[in-house]
Amino acid sequence: MGLQMLVNAILLGGLYALMGIGFSLQWGISGIINLSYGAMVMLGSYISLEFFNFFHIDPFISMIMSGAILFVLGAIIYRGLLQPFLKGGIVFTLILTFAVRLIMENVILKVWSADYRTIRLSYAGSNFQFGDAYVPLIKFLSFIVAGILIYLTYLFMMKTKTGKGIQAVALDKEGAQAVGINVEKMYMINFALGTALAGLTGSLWASIYSFSPHLIGIIVGKVFIIAILGGLGNIWGAAAGGLLLGFAEVAGASFLGSQWQEAIGMVIMVGVLLWRPHGLMGKKFFG
Amino acid sequence: MLNNKKINIFLLIIALGLFIFLPRFLSGYWVRVITTIFMYAVIAQGMNLMSGYMGYLPFGNAMFFGIGAYVTAIGMSKGLPFLLVVPLAAITAILFSIILGLPVLRLRGHYFAIATIGMSGAILSVVQNATEITGGAMGTTLPIIDKAPGVVYNYFYLAMLALMVITSLCLHFVIKSKLGFGIRSIKANEDAANSMGINTTYHKVVAWAISALFTSIAGALYAYWMSFIGPDEVFDVMIAVNTIVIMLIGGAGSILGPIIGAFIVELFAEVAWSAFLEYHLAVLGIIIIIIVIFVPKGMMGSISDFTKNRKLRAGKKVTV
Amino acid sequence: MEENNIILKIKSLSKHFGALKAVDDVSFEVKKGEILGLIGPNGAGKTTVTNLVNGTYAKTTGKVSFKGSDVSNLKPYQIARMGLTRTYQVVKPLIGMTVEENVLVGSLFGRENRNSDMKNAIKRAGEIVKLVGLEKKKDHLVSDITLPDLKKMEFARVLAMEPEVVFLDEVMAGLNPTEVEEASRLVKRVREEKKLSIVYIEHIMKAVMGISDRIVVLHHGKKIVEGTPQKVINDQAVIEAYLGKRYAKEVKNEG
Repeated sequence: MGLQMLVNAILLGGLYALMGIGFSLQWGISGIINLSYGAMVMLGSYISLEFFNFFHIDPFISMIMSGAILFVLGAIIYRGLLQPFLKGGIVFTLILTFAVRLIMENVILKVWSADYRTIRLSYAGSNFQFGDAYVPLIKFLSFIVAGILIYLTYLFMMKTKTGKGIQAVALDKEGAQAVGINVEKMYMINFALGTALAGLTGSLWASIYSFSPHLIGIIVGKVFIIAILGGLGNIWGAAAGGLLLGFAEVAGASFLGSQWQEAIGMVIMVGVLLWRPHGLMGKKFFG
Repeated sequence: MLNNKKINIFLLIIALGLFIFLPRFLSGYWVRVITTIFMYAVIAQGMNLMSGYMGYLPFGNAMFFGIGAYVTAIGMSKGLPFLLVVPLAAITAILFSIILGLPVLRLRGHYFAIATIGMSGAILSVVQNATEITGGAMGTTLPIIDKAPGVVYNYFYLAMLALMVITSLCLHFVIKSKLGFGIRSIKANEDAANSMGINTTYHKVVAWAISALFTSIAGALYAYWMSFIGPDEVFDVMIAVNTIVIMLIGGAGSILGPIIGAFIVELFAEVAWSAFLEYHLAVLGIIIIIIVIFVPKGMMGSISDFTKNRKLRAGKKVTV
Repeated sequence: MEENNIILKIKSLSKHFGALKAVDDVSFEVKKGEILGLIGPNGAGKTTVTNLVNGTYAKTTGKVSFKGSDVSNLKPYQIARMGLTRTYQVVKPLIGMTVEENVLVGSLFGRENRNSDMKNAIKRAGEIVKLVGLEKKKDHLVSDITLPDLKKMEFARVLAMEPEVVFLDEVMAGLNPTEVEEASRLVKRVREEKKLSIVYIEHIMKAVMGISDRIVVLHHGKKIVEGTPQKVINDQAVIEAYLGKRYAKEVKNEG
C-alpha cells in the first residue's frame, strides 16, 4: 500500500470517525437509531455554506454555529418527538427519526435544491508533501480539527459532571437514578451532542467535498457501518470504525475500481453483523 | 370480521369477483395503479408474517423483492422462459433468507431489524457494481411481451391479484396451523415459547423463508411487467418504508390488514402526489408521525379491539 | 433398585456471574413421583437452579441427567420436549392469546413422540383446562384474567405438555391463604392423576411443609440440608438461615 493511499485513507478515516461517533452515541446510549443523522450532517454543511456566501466566514469558524444550531435542534427533536415515545421501543423511534429525515430532506430540497454545492476556499488547492505523498491542506486541517473534536468529546464524557452523568446512565440507569441523576436530561444532552457532532462534521465535509441532499442516505449507511464496527456508544470504537471504513473505501477504490467503494463498506458491515454481533469492541445485543 | 364464517367467505368471494371484472370499467392508468396496490399488499403480507405475527420486523425485506426481480431479469436474458425463472427466483430468495437468517435470527428482535437494513444495502451495492452480470447501476431489460399494451397490463393485473389472493390464503392457513402457533408464541413471549418446546430459531427461519418466497415472486412479476429494472428502484428503501406505513395503517397481525392498508396508502399517495408534489416527502414524514403516534395498531387492530370488547361484553366466544 | 427410581439427577451444579456465585456446587436427586420441596430464603438460588436445569442459563459447572440421559448441553426446547418442564415465578403468559390458546401451545409443542396434530392437541388442551378449573374463562384473553387464574393457566399449560418432571417456581406467590389451599390441593391431585414428579420451589416454609415428600434447602447458592420435612424444620442451619443466628441460639437453648 503506497504512502499516498495510506495518507488518503487516514485523512478520510478521521472525518468518518468524527461523523460516526455522534450516531454511535445516540444509538448506544440514548437508545435511538437516528435515521435523520445524514440530514443533520448535510444541514451542517448548508449552514456553513450560508455563512460563507453571506458573511464570507470560513467553515472552520462557522462550524461552531453549525454545532450550536444542530445541538439545539437535536434537543428539541429528542424532547418533543422521541422522549415521549421511548416506550414504543427502538424500532418505533427509528420510524419517527425516519419521518424527521423526510421532513428535513424536503426542507433542504426546497431551500437549496438538489444541485451539488461547494464552498470554494481560497486555499483549496494547496497541499504539502509528506515523503512521496501529497497531503491536501484542507483535508489535513479537517483531520486535525476532527481529531481535536473527538478528544474534546472524550474529555467531556470523562471529566465533566454532565459527561460522567451520561456515562453513569449508560452503565446503570436505575443506579444513576438512585443517586439523583436526571436520567432523561442525560439522554437528551447525549442525543443533542450527537446531532452537534453531525453538524460539525457537515461543516468540515463542506470545506472539502461538494454536497447535496443525495448524500443523506449514503451518510446514514456509512455511520451505520461505523457504529456497528466500533460497538455502540463507544467513542474510541467508533473512531476506530471510522478509520477502518476510510481504509476499506480507499483500498477498495484502488484495487477494485472506484465504483466498489460503497459496496466494500457494506459487505464488511454485514460480515461483522453476522460474525460478531456486538461489534469489534462494544456492548452486547442479546435479550 | 363478522361473526359468521360462511358470510365472511361469501363476501370475500364477491369482492374477488368484483376485482376480476374491475378492469373493464377503468382506464389503463388505474388498472396499473391497482396492480401496484396488489403488489404492495403481497410485500406487506410478507412483512406482516414476520412483524405482525412474530414480532420481528425485517426492515430490509425489500431485498427479496430485488432478488426476485434480478434473478428473473438475468434468467430471462439467458433465454429461460418466465414460468421457469420464477421458481428459480423464489428459491434464490429463500436460500438467502436461510443463509442470512440463521446467524441473526438466533438473536433478539431489534438486532434482526437493523441487520436486515445492512443486508439490503449490501446486496444493493453489490448489484450496482456487478455490472457484467446485472447491468450495474444502469439497470437491465427483460423481454417485452409481444401483445397489445391493454392485454399486457390486464395480464399483470390478474397475475398480481392471483398472487395477492394466494399469499393471503397461505398466510391464513399457516397462522391457523401448528407452525402458526409457534410463530405467534414467539411474539407473545419468546422465553416461554422456548421452555414450552418450541424451537424458536427454526420457526423464525421458516417464517422468513415464507416471507422471502412471496416477496420475491412479487419482484419477479414486477420485473417482467416493467421490462426494465434498475437497482435503485427494486432495492429502494422507500419500498420498505411504504410497506411499514401500509402495515401501520392497515393493521399488522391480521390477514386483511395489509390489503386494506395497501389500498388506503397507495390511493392516498395518488392524490397527494398531484396535490403536494413539492412537499410530498415532508407530507409523508408528517403522516408517518401522526399514524405512529395516534393509531399504532392500525385500522384492523382498532376494529378488532372494538369488536372483541363488544363480544366479551355480550358474552360471546372470541376467536383470535 | 434405587437407581431406577431416580428420574432427575443434578450433580455439582454451579453458576457464577463474575465473582458472584449464584449457585455453588449444588447436587440432589428427584425420585419418580415425589414432590421435592426446594426452599430457601430469597436470593438463595432456587430460580437460578431451575434456569440451569432447563437450559435457559449456561452452566459454569455441573451435570444434569434426566431419565438416564445427560441433558447438560441441550437447549431449553429440547429439554422441554423430553418431559422436563418449568413454570415461572413471574408468570409468562402468551399475551394476545386466550387462556385456551395458551394451553393449546403447550399441548401442541410439549412432549415429543405423541399425537400432537391440531385436532388431538385441541382436545387435550380442553381436558386440561377443565382439570384445573378454568373452563369458564377459557376464551378470555390472558391480559384480562386475575393472577390466581394466570397461575392456574400456566400450570395447565405445562400439564398440556405431558411432562414427567415439573419445576413449579413459587406458584403460591401473590395468592391469599384460601387460594394457597386451593392451589395445594390441585397440585396434589394432579400429581396423583398424572404420576408427575414435582420440584416445588418456595421461600415460605409453611407452604411447602404440608405438600413435600422430601425437602432440599438452599442458602447463598449452596445446599445446606436435605431430608424429610421433619428433619429439615428442626435443623440448626436451616433455622439460622431463615431466622438468623440469634434466634437459632434461642431455639437451641430452649429446646
